[in-house]
Amino acid sequence: MRSAEITAGPAETRQLSLSFLRPSRSAIIGTLAVLAFLVLWQIAPTMGWVNGRFTSRPTEVFFAAIDIFRNDNFLYHARISLTEFVAGFALAIVVSIPLGVLLGTSKIARYLIDPPLMALYIAPTLVLLPIMVIWLGIDMAPKIAVVFLGAVFPIVLNTMAGMSEADPRFLRMARSFGATRFDIFTRVLVPGSLPALLTGLRLAVGRAVLGVIVGELFVSQAGIGYQLNLYGSAMRIDRLLVYALIVSAFGYTLTVMVRSVENKVRDWRSK
Amino acid sequence: MAQIEIRDLGIDYRKPKSNEVFSAVDSVALSVEKGEFVTIVGSSGCGKSTLLMAVAGLVSLTRGSIEIDGKRVDGPGPDRAVVFQEASLLPWRSVRGNVKFGLEMQRWSGGDLNERAMQMIRLVGLGRFSDYHPHQLSGGMRQRVNIARALAVDPEVLLMDEPFGALDAQTREIMGTELLRIWERAKKTALFVTHDIDEAIFLADKIVVMGRNPGHIKEVIKVDLPRPRNEAILDSEEFHELRKRLRAHLAEDMSSMQLVQEVA
Repeated sequence: MRSAEITAGPAETRQLSLSFLRPSRSAIIGTLAVLAFLVLWQIAPTMGWVNGRFTSRPTEVFFAAIDIFRNDNFLYHARISLTEFVAGFALAIVVSIPLGVLLGTSKIARYLIDPPLMALYIAPTLVLLPIMVIWLGIDMAPKIAVVFLGAVFPIVLNTMAGMSEADPRFLRMARSFGATRFDIFTRVLVPGSLPALLTGLRLAVGRAVLGVIVGELFVSQAGIGYQLNLYGSAMRIDRLLVYALIVSAFGYTLTVMVRSVENKVRDWRSK
Repeated sequence: MAQIEIRDLGIDYRKPKSNEVFSAVDSVALSVEKGEFVTIVGSSGCGKSTLLMAVAGLVSLTRGSIEIDGKRVDGPGPDRAVVFQEASLLPWRSVRGNVKFGLEMQRWSGGDLNERAMQMIRLVGLGRFSDYHPHQLSGGMRQRVNIARALAVDPEVLLMDEPFGALDAQTREIMGTELLRIWERAKKTALFVTHDIDEAIFLADKIVVMGRNPGHIKEVIKVDLPRPRNEAILDSEEFHELRKRLRAHLAEDMSSMQLVQEVA
């Protein structure tokens, strides 16, 4: 009886998986759909279904991509956008995590700052872009500010929620063992709110990417958004699409990376 | 002198919205000898958990006093450890990490801490599972971890708040036997809250029967069943007698509850 209870065993067993050799049904269907779309896109202008001047073709986009990577000063523009992104995002992290912790652990701070914070979170921070330009000029600074403003609120709010919604049963357990406030903070609140913090980071990535691009579209002298604007007004759909793809691939990759950490961290709270 | 001495204990709560004062426990007096296994049984709302939490130092007293080894309780202390009902294991820590928690709070460190934690994990029969996380364990295994965590800090008094309440009947019985085995080796004074009559008798040297409105002690029953005990005693004559007595108590409580509902 007793041994049966013990060997009832873990819910999941860890074993080496070779499943990547046999793609799942969803992967097959997804790939086929993309291929079908590309073929359709390629032949549509030739068949006269659409005007090729407005839609371009996959092959044209492909050659435009090669061209851009070779002689479009791509690295220069990418570096500028990336710098704006990293600077704004880093600034957001530095400010938002301590602020989120403060708001999550102090009710008074929460009552004080929660309403304006919510208002700023819900309002698209891009509405502040013209002001940022007036204050900070047309260089990198206003874009960094917009990235910061876009990224800061999701991180603050999620960190705050993670902290303040700690399971009261854990707090009571910790107190029963004589935990000090500091012990509770470091050993219960911080690890407990990590998944929420990561959710905040993931949401912030999307908003930060948006901030860089729109900031540069609005007013700039260089950067990916600047190039988008340039090729947009020149009707170079093929090049426009290359830059659009680069932006979305960047945001997507970053989001997937954060999500994979998030899932790992969330694993142990599944039940 | 008794190890735990509870005198004229009263605990009032203020209801959050109405500001009405509600008495959870009143006029409770109880003494528990060193090494004794005491179960506290009663229907829900009789204040049995509140009483236990008061001994743990997690609830403040309105009247009366609780002393342990002559020392007044005014908060949690290293002389007591609590086994909670469920979901009190930190999900991000492994079995070993969870068992270490109490030791860390008492500033154990390094090798001693690891050694002590592993020793306790083996005591509750989870040696092979020390690196598993709570969500990978069954309910019974989680409660073993919970017990190991409490025993690790080597308390004088072990306080258990319906630790098997969330388990199915079968696992519950196994865990009861397990708990007795561990208790007989660790020789701790134990206070065990339950609403399960069989569990209350099976484990106890002494059963405290509580009633409601406000929570008070109705009777304290000595249990003289021989130890070590196993499932066989569930069918003994004495066990049946005790069960009948406890049933009568709880039935009385239920009928008074219905009366209150009818009047209201």
